[in-house]
Amino acid sequence: MKPISGGSVREAELAGVAEVTRPAAATRSETPLAQAVRRLRRSATALVGAGIVAVLLVVAIFADALAPQSPITSDQMQTFARPSWEHPLGTDQLGRDMLSRVVHGTRISLLVGVSSVVLALFVGVPFGMIAGYYGGRVDTSIMRVMDLILAFPIYLLAIILMIIFTPTAGLIGTMKVTGAIAIVRIPIYARLVRGSVLSIKEKEYIEACRALGVRDPWILFRHVLPNCLAPIIVTTTLGIATSIIVEATLSFLGLGTQPPTPSWGWDLKANVAFIQANFWLSLFPGLAIFLTVLGFNLFGDGLRDALDPRLK
Amino acid sequence: MRVYILKRVLGIVPTILMITLVVFVMMRSVPGDPVVALLGDAYTQEDAVKARQVYGLDEPMLVQYGIWLGKLVQGDWGASILTGRPVLQDVLVRLPVTLELIVLSMAVALAIAIPAAIIGALRQNTWADYAATTVAMIGVSIPEFFIGVLLLLVFSIGLGGLLPSSGWVYLPGTCPMMVCGVSFWGNVQHVLLPALALGVGRAALLTRLLRASMLEVIRTEYVTTARAKGLGERPIVLKHALKNALIPTVTVMGLQVGFLIGGAIVVETLFAMPGLGTFGIDAIIARDYQQVQGFALLTAFAFVVINLLVDLTYTFLDPRIRYA
Repeated sequence: MKPISGGSVREAELAGVAEVTRPAAATRSETPLAQAVRRLRRSATALVGAGIVAVLLVVAIFADALAPQSPITSDQMQTFARPSWEHPLGTDQLGRDMLSRVVHGTRISLLVGVSSVVLALFVGVPFGMIAGYYGGRVDTSIMRVMDLILAFPIYLLAIILMIIFTPTAGLIGTMKVTGAIAIVRIPIYARLVRGSVLSIKEKEYIEACRALGVRDPWILFRHVLPNCLAPIIVTTTLGIATSIIVEATLSFLGLGTQPPTPSWGWDLKANVAFIQANFWLSLFPGLAIFLTVLGFNLFGDGLRDALDPRLK
Repeated sequence: MRVYILKRVLGIVPTILMITLVVFVMMRSVPGDPVVALLGDAYTQEDAVKARQVYGLDEPMLVQYGIWLGKLVQGDWGASILTGRPVLQDVLVRLPVTLELIVLSMAVALAIAIPAAIIGALRQNTWADYAATTVAMIGVSIPEFFIGVLLLLVFSIGLGGLLPSSGWVYLPGTCPMMVCGVSFWGNVQHVLLPALALGVGRAALLTRLLRASMLEVIRTEYVTTARAKGLGERPIVLKHALKNALIPTVTVMGLQVGFLIGGAIVVETLFAMPGLGTFGIDAIIARDYQQVQGFALLTAFAFVVINLLVDLTYTFLDPRIRYA
């Protein structure tokens, strides 16, 4: 027998009785998604956060065009230049233009922040769904591994992972940092999703799917996943903020993407030594980190309020 | 209750064993080994093999872990491969610095967060609330090391070197070595900026959590009842509302311990403090296996003990919670 392929078939069946259901639908209140979008657009915090994130994305994408100079070309005649028209944020000990380094640093920060969370999502969410849906031995063995990772103080694990990966410069170096941060963050999503799935799988509509003979993967992705999306989205947005801080911290400790690739945490640390005479050199990378994290935090807060008012 | 505590205390042992074992295996899968660093550039393969034998690095990994564990239960934490000093001695020298830093930063966090959260919740949607929530939002978005740099700029450089930017002076009575700088005032000067740097971020997080749960609690019926029976505002807020609002907050603070350890590493690095954080990061970077094991052991211990304390705090905050 051909399995009934979930939603589409039943929607087609319902189309036949459209005349009966339509009038009710017209008076029905707006969908939860539309409500969420409306709440989001009314929230000042979310809009400010989204604005900051949007600007940073533009800066990251067009860094080459926006930066006045190369972030890695040093000019030995221009070391520790004070802020001027030529170098609005001054130059560092190698005579590199600080504004260009801060602008290019946006790339590393956003790239690591977003991709580490996406990576953690792609591994953590399926594991969490499988663990919660199937339960029993599958659940125990998956969650054992997750709890093992969670039992670690996050920075201890991230630091040792970076030592194992050996920090390097460029894209490869950035990928290593991304991997290390993703690994420590996988269990967060697995736990979150597992918890939601545990309650969702007992719902009648899941039972109905099973009775209709819908296959498990389809149930999981088409019916279970959409219903635990709200906390996932909120945790993801706020998780990007955390990942950016972790990346900056690893860089600060010298374990992030290595120079000459511009990274805010590294630049801040490298210039602390010269803070006495050139305070702005540490100030700007720090402000950049702060602004980025603030943007994602504000947006995440607004999202949380919009998606699930009960969580407020 | 006693049985529960006993069970939990016994449960600590496997967790610590697991964490130290994983760290052990991970450190040994790091490319390169400490023998190379020890012998310098000019060494022969023979020397390296001999050195590995001396430090037992030629044994299988699990045997090495077994040897480490066997010595540990006898109170021997091993000796650093690079300096030759006993790890336990090094750890004890550095422990008071980090303990003082963490305790004071938590005190800073509580001293800021509790009043801020109470004001925010009781005067919801007033300028005081907006001020508290805005400052808290900014606070959670600044990494510790940047707060540290800002504090350095203001207090060490801006105000004409009012407070020192690095180093450490021990509190009288805590000097673990034969000779060390000891002075009460000197200690206060040295610990103030790092404790603030580490505490302000925690304060911001705590304020947000506590304000949210206070808002929930002050709308409950038992608070209305307390008001109805004529209790003053102070006992209502402090005894009825705050205590119950602390439960979710304490949970999250327990989960934050991992971040606090990272924060200690960063702040100690920034202020060049001779604490466990700098000890740990230096050991990991130098691949000094024995020191890393000591650091991991202590970190894991602190981590699980604090989480246990968090669970036990619940029974104090809400006597209905009982552990059978």
